[in-house]
Amino acid sequence: MSLHWSQHLILAPVLLPLLCGTLLILLNESRHQLKFAINFASVLGLLTAAILLMAMTDSGYWQDGIGVYLAANWAAPFGIALVADRLAALMLLLTAVLAGCALLYSMLRWSRIGVHFHSLFQFLLMGINGTFLTHDLFNLFVFFEVMLAASYGLVLHGYNLNRIRAGMQFIAVNLVASLMFLIGIALIYATTGTLNMSDLAQRLADVGEADMVLLKVGAAVLGIAFLIKSAMWPLGFWLPTTYAAASPPVAAMFVLMTKVGTYVILRLWLLLFSGDDGAAAGFGANVLLWGGMATIAFGAVGMLASDKQGKLTGYAAIISSGTLLAVIGLGQQALVTAGLFYLLSSTLAMAAFMLLIELIERSRNPVEAMLALTMEAFEFEETPEQPVGVGMPAALAFLGLSFACCALVITGLPPLSGFIAKFSLFHSLLNGDGGNVAPSSLTLMVLMLLSGLAAIIALMRFGVRTFWASGAVNARLQITEVVPVGLLLLLSVVLTVQAEPIFAYLERISADLQRPELYPGRVLAEPVVPGVVDGGK
Amino acid sequence: MELTIAIAIGVLFGSGVWLILRPRSFQVLTGLLLMSYAVNLFIFIMGQLWVDMPPLTLDDGVPNPRDFADPLPQALVLTAIVIGFATTALYLVLMIGSRGVTGTDHVDGKETGQ
Amino acid sequence: MIQALIILPFLGSLIAVFLPANPRNHESWLAGAVSLLGLLLTSLLYLRVGDGEVVRYQWQWLPQYGLDFVLRMDGLAWLFAMLVQGIGLLVVLYARYYMSPKDPAARFFAFLLAFMGSMLGVVLSGNLIQLVVFWELTSLTSFLLIGYWHHRIDARRGARMAFTVTAAGGLCLLAGALVLGHIVGSYDLDVVLASGDLIRSHDWYRAALVLIALGALTKSAQFPFHFWLPHAMAAPTPVSAYLHSATMVKAGVFLLTRLWPVLSGTPEWFWLIAGAGVCTLLLGSFFAIFQHDLKGLLAYSTVSHLGLITVLLGMGTPLAVVAAIFHTLNHAIFKASLFMAAGIIDHESGTRDMRLLRGLYQALPITATLAIVASASMAGVPLLNGFLSKEMFFAETLLVGGAQNWWMSLAAVAMGIFAVAYSLRFISVFLGKLAEDLPQKPHEPPRWMRFPVELLVLLCLVVGITPGLSVRPFLDRAVLSVLGTEAPVYNLAIWHGFNLPLLMSMIALAGGILLYILLRRFYDLSNSDRVPLFHHINGAKLYDDNMQRLYQVTGWLVRRLGSQRLQPQLLLILVALAAVSLLLLRPSVPTGGIFQDGTWGFSLMWLIGCICAVTAAWQAKYHRLAALLLVGGTGIVTSMTFLWLSAPDLALTQLMVETVTTVLILLGLRWLPPRILPSKMNIQVPRRVWLRRSRDLVVAIACGLTMTAISYAVLMRPTPGTISDFFLLHAKSEGGGSNVVNVLLVDFRAFDTLGEITVLAIVALTVYALLRRFRPAPESAAIPPQQTNPLDPASKETPAQQADNGYLMVPAVYLRFLLPFMVMAAVYFFMRGHNLPGGGFVAGLIFAVALIVQYVVGGTAWVESRLPVDPHKWIAWGLGTACATGLGAWLLGYPFLTSHTAHIHLPVLGEIHLPSAFVFDFGVFLLVVGATMLILTALSHQSIRSHRLPAGDGAATTSGGGN
Repeated sequence: MSLHWSQHLILAPVLLPLLCGTLLILLNESRHQLKFAINFASVLGLLTAAILLMAMTDSGYWQDGIGVYLAANWAAPFGIALVADRLAALMLLLTAVLAGCALLYSMLRWSRIGVHFHSLFQFLLMGINGTFLTHDLFNLFVFFEVMLAASYGLVLHGYNLNRIRAGMQFIAVNLVASLMFLIGIALIYATTGTLNMSDLAQRLADVGEADMVLLKVGAAVLGIAFLIKSAMWPLGFWLPTTYAAASPPVAAMFVLMTKVGTYVILRLWLLLFSGDDGAAAGFGANVLLWGGMATIAFGAVGMLASDKQGKLTGYAAIISSGTLLAVIGLGQQALVTAGLFYLLSSTLAMAAFMLLIELIERSRNPVEAMLALTMEAFEFEETPEQPVGVGMPAALAFLGLSFACCALVITGLPPLSGFIAKFSLFHSLLNGDGGNVAPSSLTLMVLMLLSGLAAIIALMRFGVRTFWASGAVNARLQITEVVPVGLLLLLSVVLTVQAEPIFAYLERISADLQRPELYPGRVLAEPVVPGVVDGGK
Repeated sequence: MELTIAIAIGVLFGSGVWLILRPRSFQVLTGLLLMSYAVNLFIFIMGQLWVDMPPLTLDDGVPNPRDFADPLPQALVLTAIVIGFATTALYLVLMIGSRGVTGTDHVDGKETGQ
Repeated sequence: MIQALIILPFLGSLIAVFLPANPRNHESWLAGAVSLLGLLLTSLLYLRVGDGEVVRYQWQWLPQYGLDFVLRMDGLAWLFAMLVQGIGLLVVLYARYYMSPKDPAARFFAFLLAFMGSMLGVVLSGNLIQLVVFWELTSLTSFLLIGYWHHRIDARRGARMAFTVTAAGGLCLLAGALVLGHIVGSYDLDVVLASGDLIRSHDWYRAALVLIALGALTKSAQFPFHFWLPHAMAAPTPVSAYLHSATMVKAGVFLLTRLWPVLSGTPEWFWLIAGAGVCTLLLGSFFAIFQHDLKGLLAYSTVSHLGLITVLLGMGTPLAVVAAIFHTLNHAIFKASLFMAAGIIDHESGTRDMRLLRGLYQALPITATLAIVASASMAGVPLLNGFLSKEMFFAETLLVGGAQNWWMSLAAVAMGIFAVAYSLRFISVFLGKLAEDLPQKPHEPPRWMRFPVELLVLLCLVVGITPGLSVRPFLDRAVLSVLGTEAPVYNLAIWHGFNLPLLMSMIALAGGILLYILLRRFYDLSNSDRVPLFHHINGAKLYDDNMQRLYQVTGWLVRRLGSQRLQPQLLLILVALAAVSLLLLRPSVPTGGIFQDGTWGFSLMWLIGCICAVTAAWQAKYHRLAALLLVGGTGIVTSMTFLWLSAPDLALTQLMVETVTTVLILLGLRWLPPRILPSKMNIQVPRRVWLRRSRDLVVAIACGLTMTAISYAVLMRPTPGTISDFFLLHAKSEGGGSNVVNVLLVDFRAFDTLGEITVLAIVALTVYALLRRFRPAPESAAIPPQQTNPLDPASKETPAQQADNGYLMVPAVYLRFLLPFMVMAAVYFFMRGHNLPGGGFVAGLIFAVALIVQYVVGGTAWVESRLPVDPHKWIAWGLGTACATGLGAWLLGYPFLTSHTAHIHLPVLGEIHLPSAFVFDFGVFLLVVGATMLILTALSHQSIRSHRLPAGDGAATTSGGGN
């Protein structure tokens, strides 16, 4: 018997970018149209794959909506297993969408300054998708490194003073985080003797007393590593600086990468430490909860204090990941559902904002902007032809509208998806488990309301100064710059209008997450393909 | 032997930590090197300490796992070494680049008043 | 049908956006049509609402959370809907003439229509959350409309102030709605309205009340949030007339009315609502007297009238509710007309300053008459609608106060007096002789600009004279829909006979006139630039100061709580590491594992290793080379340890990596700035620095101890059964190799390796991309003095010449001779990799080193002229080969990277077993060579480039320059 094509589909999100990235290395920079085409085609492929996986995980095509792929055909837990479930599929879809927008945006300028942008972009996607799919702890580390290495390259892309400075900090912090990642994995292996997540969840039950201590140390160290990546206060100072420095398309991808850390925490924590029984149950919940709240507060303060848009978005991102951490810390199912919706909505809006920023800058003072353009043009060998902007009369209106939409979503004001997200969170906080409301839930709610207010004040200040005070002149926009922003915001509208089905889907996801016992049953039972010629299985 | 290696790991890690807390990028670089040694050793000893039992199942017949060192940590360490090598190289180049652009070798790319 | 009411305005606003910016006609026709249509629809709906039916429309929005889109029209909603659209229509007509043709009308009317839609949404909402949605939308549109003339600073300021206050209130309202929903278990208005007792008796009643009250009071500009309304007057006058007197500010009182059945009737309600109301109506009316801006006066009077309505609602008696609804209606009518009149005056005479305006009656008699009638209504003169509701108010104060408690009645009378006074102040601009020094020569406005005013004033009279016929039925409906069964009997007669309320009205009239005269006579009203007694109650200033302070404080906080710098960040991370681990790690008793007896050799070796490490740490700042060598020493010790502890592969790899890394860093050192010992420059290291260093030392030691403790604890216990037995058992039989580690890398966990080499590739590319834009620091760009020494013959030769016949000839010969051998070694290690220590990675590094050596001796140019290696291609092919091997398995229907063994028959060698893992390993080899070479060459090119062209230009990178 041989493997059905649909199984290979699980691998596609990792393999496709790898192959395209490799191919792109060979192509000469001067053929950027071709490179862009390949890159974009690959992203479209990823989009298709994500949608297919979504359908397959949700349609009962696989038992329990969990698809397993045994790389190198070794049974779990010995080989490396890739697992596609609803959550993974969702994240893959989100990634593909963001990547498409960021890429389209970068078509005219950012992909042409410097070299190897396209390869790095593809490798970044490979890393991100890998972290979503892999079910093996060490393999997770490897994919994290792929993602980070690519992000190092991309954050330095379009090499200038700020980027170098930010890059130094970003890279140093992440190298340390990676070391801690390794320590954590090592300890977990030492105490449980396995790396496969499902196997881990199973063996957790019969870990001895002394080992349990070490295991917890390992989990804690691992946790710190991920909290650094999801920018929990006080481990996330690198974030605003990096966001502010990175080039817009890269920054847009960064918005997603911050969420990757959160994703891993969500997955691992619910897989290992959720549930009420077992020695490790509920381990670190309070750290997540209160740390998350501290993060929200810090982000809110930061937003109030900053009037540079780069910083603004950075702190906004901090708020959102703080919210997610706190939600995971509370970990009730309804809450997780709402949290996932919040994740979608805020990621899309923030990415749009990241892309918007540069356009706003340009509209703000075209002379300066043009100067900046040419300055950058002198930096590199093959000058890209300037975006020959047809002066759109509606450009400023578009910018204003998009800014307003982003602001609405980020602050959680009606009527866009941000409000739905916040409302559903509040609702779940208040009506969580049988009427009685924990003080921590109330605190979180108040904090979120206050952070919303802070965001309103900060963004309004910024918006008024930008669009009203400093008589912004008409910007010259490219269609390839307008479309991505518009698309992202349109999605946020879709999220609002189609809230019902989307929430239904998210509820299924969080239901899966609440039943960690599902995974061992599927992953460890997945049969290998029998009978390879000689040395086969 | 266990004690020795444990102490060794501690010392390496400690010196590394001290170095990465320094302001000069070269210090941070060396610090990262030392720390990665420590961490590699740490992963490595996660199985047990085995003397003269390399995981080479040379002779035919079914090998007895008790006679060999735990191969998995070794494989992990190998991967870790490679990745560590890569990132070190990257940081090195960044260090040079930063020095060139910012004119200083301070980790923040600008001298702080001290 | 009812949903059309909401859709129409938003649709209209959407269309308006795409209409030409000016002239105004298209937009105003559109807006007019929309509101007229809405008006007709609403009137039609009265057929159903009129006989007590509640028209509902429901759409499933988010049922999981009890959030449905519900439109619900009962008497009250109907009345407000009429108000919104009726006034809306008039305002549109008015605005058509008020706005100058140069104003971008599209934006204006788009916002106006959007507001109309939102306001209708508020009044028609049948779901609390949905109500909040539209509520915030009204704040938003109001923000945009206030800031319509955004080139003016006061417009921006007013807009920000208004939005901050109302949006904050909106958040409170949201919280309140959630709390109500939590209490009742549903957000549906009908359900909520049905469960009043439950709510009032619930523990969270207070919370809900306060939150909702905050929402309502901010919106209706009640004390202490009243300050935003006067500043909102920076908006175009149609906006002021529409939003800030007739409709939006009424949303607050509407909400209070709406929730009156469920929230009112408690002392909390009374004190909170009535209290705020009383303060507001007194302050508002008092402030109004002392304004100089027509619109300012009207704004404060609006504040005070809203206060009046709030008081009525706060009282909690059914009759008071009747009065409240009635007065809401009346106030909307006369205040809108007054604003429009003020607008006309402004429009025609070019100023709104009452100190300039005089005797306008001569100039525009009709407008003047209308305005005077309207302000009479505002003052509560009999036969006008204002009188009726005010009279009811007086009556209610008496009723509630009873015989002994008079304070509310007194407040009411005082308010009446002030109201009369400021109405007179308003009227005064029409009296006397026409002022000469006006910016423009005033004259009557165009016919249709005045028409709305006429209509509204007519309404004032109609309602004022024949309330029973004109307004009664609608009022009844509204009252019924709020109070239901407890709706009181009331009569709207003009004449109730001589009674206390009438007396109060008379006192108010007489007192007002008297007060005004006194003020004119003794206080010199027109020259007082601030309000007496209460001038320090300045909410606006408070707001501005607080915003400023907020900015500063948060800035300070961020600097305290966060940091832009790397070191604090790392410090925190490491502290977290040490703390968490030490906290969790209780001293666990060594339960004894397989204990390896200590050997002196090992300990000695590590003694050296540790010394190296510590010295390196100590020297790294001032003696980089030394530190580098010491670190290398530690590396050697590490790799020896690997060898000792039966990990030959690791030892080998570590050694090679060590070599390459050292070379890399050596190449890099040249670009770092010189560092002179402070003692040499005899600089005193400040104490701060010492403190910081000792702190870091403590952290370092703590971390070190942590690691030691953990490692020891791990080693001192029996290992659990791990998965690795499987690998030992199957490596040979199924992996086809006896070096288990290598089989793990290329088969069991080949997926990891794939990722790992990708990382290598990425880094190489990044390094290349980074270095081709490299700018050397000026002082290190120059050729080092050693190479420019005139006495040294080598200084004039290229590296190649030095190697061919210069002083480097001998080593050059040897090293070039060495090349083939090293390549052989690489091949050897590669071939044996699968069964014995070795493998693609090690082989790759050896090969790379072989080439590096040639670079070192022969110089970059020489090597690259002889063996043109394009590292990019190597990298690409390496990755490609690895992937291709993996994909090969697909063809045979196996998962990615499944290893197979091909059997090749060669003529001489016979059959050869070629496991696919081998090919994979070859890919690794290629990539490692490529990546290493790319990094090294990129580095080594710097020196050439920066000498040749100090500007530093990437084009000089020959190797794969295009890639």
